[in-house]
Amino acid sequence: MKEELHFALYAIKKNIQSSAELRTSFLMNVFGMAINNVAFIVLWVFFVQSVGVIGGWTAADIVGLQGFTALCYGLSLTFSGGIKRLPDYVANGSFDRFMLSPKNILVRVATSAFGASGVGDIVFGVTCLVIYGVLIHASIAQALLIVLLVALSTVLFFAVVVVIYSVSFLFTDATYIVNGIFELFLTPSLFHGGAFQGAIRGFFMFIVPALLVGTIPVEIVKDLSMEKLAIVGAFTVIWSVLAIKIFNRAVRRYESSNFMTFGG
Amino acid sequence: MKEIRLANKIIKTLIKDRIQYPGRLFADTSSLVARCGVLLLLYSYVFKLNNGVVNGATFDVVAWSMFFYFSFSVLGLSSISRRIMNDVTSGHVEVFLSKPIVYLSYRAWWAIGTGIYPFLVVTPLGALALALTVGIPQTMTTTLFISTFVAAFIGAIALTLLVYSILGLFAFWIEDASPVFWVVDKAVMILGGSYLPIALFPDFMYKVALYSPFGASVFVTHTAYESWASVWYKLIGIQLFWILVLGTVTYLMFSKAVKKVSVNGG
Repeated sequence: MKEELHFALYAIKKNIQSSAELRTSFLMNVFGMAINNVAFIVLWVFFVQSVGVIGGWTAADIVGLQGFTALCYGLSLTFSGGIKRLPDYVANGSFDRFMLSPKNILVRVATSAFGASGVGDIVFGVTCLVIYGVLIHASIAQALLIVLLVALSTVLFFAVVVVIYSVSFLFTDATYIVNGIFELFLTPSLFHGGAFQGAIRGFFMFIVPALLVGTIPVEIVKDLSMEKLAIVGAFTVIWSVLAIKIFNRAVRRYESSNFMTFGG
Repeated sequence: MKEIRLANKIIKTLIKDRIQYPGRLFADTSSLVARCGVLLLLYSYVFKLNNGVVNGATFDVVAWSMFFYFSFSVLGLSSISRRIMNDVTSGHVEVFLSKPIVYLSYRAWWAIGTGIYPFLVVTPLGALALALTVGIPQTMTTTLFISTFVAAFIGAIALTLLVYSILGLFAFWIEDASPVFWVVDKAVMILGGSYLPIALFPDFMYKVALYSPFGASVFVTHTAYESWASVWYKLIGIQLFWILVLGTVTYLMFSKAVKKVSVNGG
């Protein structure tokens, strides 16, 4: 375990160094993504202004929601950007190199790429959560809860992503299918949390855990709800175990499809 | 004539290609359900809380307006940008430029050909589902609506292709033009009336949506509203204006870009 962690950190460090070599491109990606994310805040703040407070959600909560979601996305897929390339690895046979590696396959795949634009998500996410803390006049307990929830939600987010991308092993042309499922998970996590009520709220909490990434953490911080915190904690554990099991089972379905090439 | 033959060939080939990959159709459908479907469920709740009317608009009109946006996005015309960027960064652009075709129109037909099959499958199904669940608003049953909708739709295709072609051409000057793409794409998303319907726009934002090329590229979303009957000629005029302006910009940028290409062999 310690050795795997050491390897993951080493791979991430090398990925960052490699990405930072193209400095202008790297910085443009970071700032471009941060500006890009502002769009969702603008949209939902105008929404709140037009229709008023829904489900107790104010404009400050929208800032918190976008902060949680962006930070989870950024932390998960910046340093573990390789997982999003899984459909390509499987389709073109380059997954072979991970199978032959003596390291843990999931760690190897996840750390095989770095998403520079995700740094923009992290910067944006941290900024939003700081602003959110200021807007709600967060107490020390709430500040600590935010840190804890970022950790839990990031693990949960990554686990769900692993499950989704494991589908790559089931289809020949998996890129589009996997992206479609990922969209189904990510999009509701960016929506105004107060508008999710009744069955739809249950669906996006317990079946597709999109609300557990941003909406529920915001409500936990607001209401200091230990019940909801327990739900997020429990689902993080369940999805993490599921992710490892499903990924390992899916890998068994992999059939090498090397491309034969001739000449230099 | 040659141009029409080329367009016809590209579109036919790409439709045949897309039919072979049902997974891609699934992706387009789930994308529409994830974005539009969930949004409509949320807005139905919001409208219910406000006794069925928000800012003078009813839910059925807002639902159709948003559906038009997401259905139009299934056409995937923004992909022209990525393809141009890839051609430039990979160097393939030199191959296209040496062929007896107009590169940008080839890429435009390619973008249309890639999206037309999912659009023709997903849109009627979505429209049927919407008609059965929320009904068809009065504003969409007039003769004026049908004729002007087609004009606004064609204008939207032309303008979208121009906006995203310009973004793609930035790749000739910028190492990685993706960040510019994200920002413009979000501007189109906001001003097009996707997540926030036009009826809920604050006054200044409505004006920006009206007079900017980003909002004008998705004017189809305005067609469901009652106000369309009185402003359609103005909006289509704005669309035509931007098509002329951006058409000229695209032409000038492309002429300059071609001069920048240096063939190094390999």
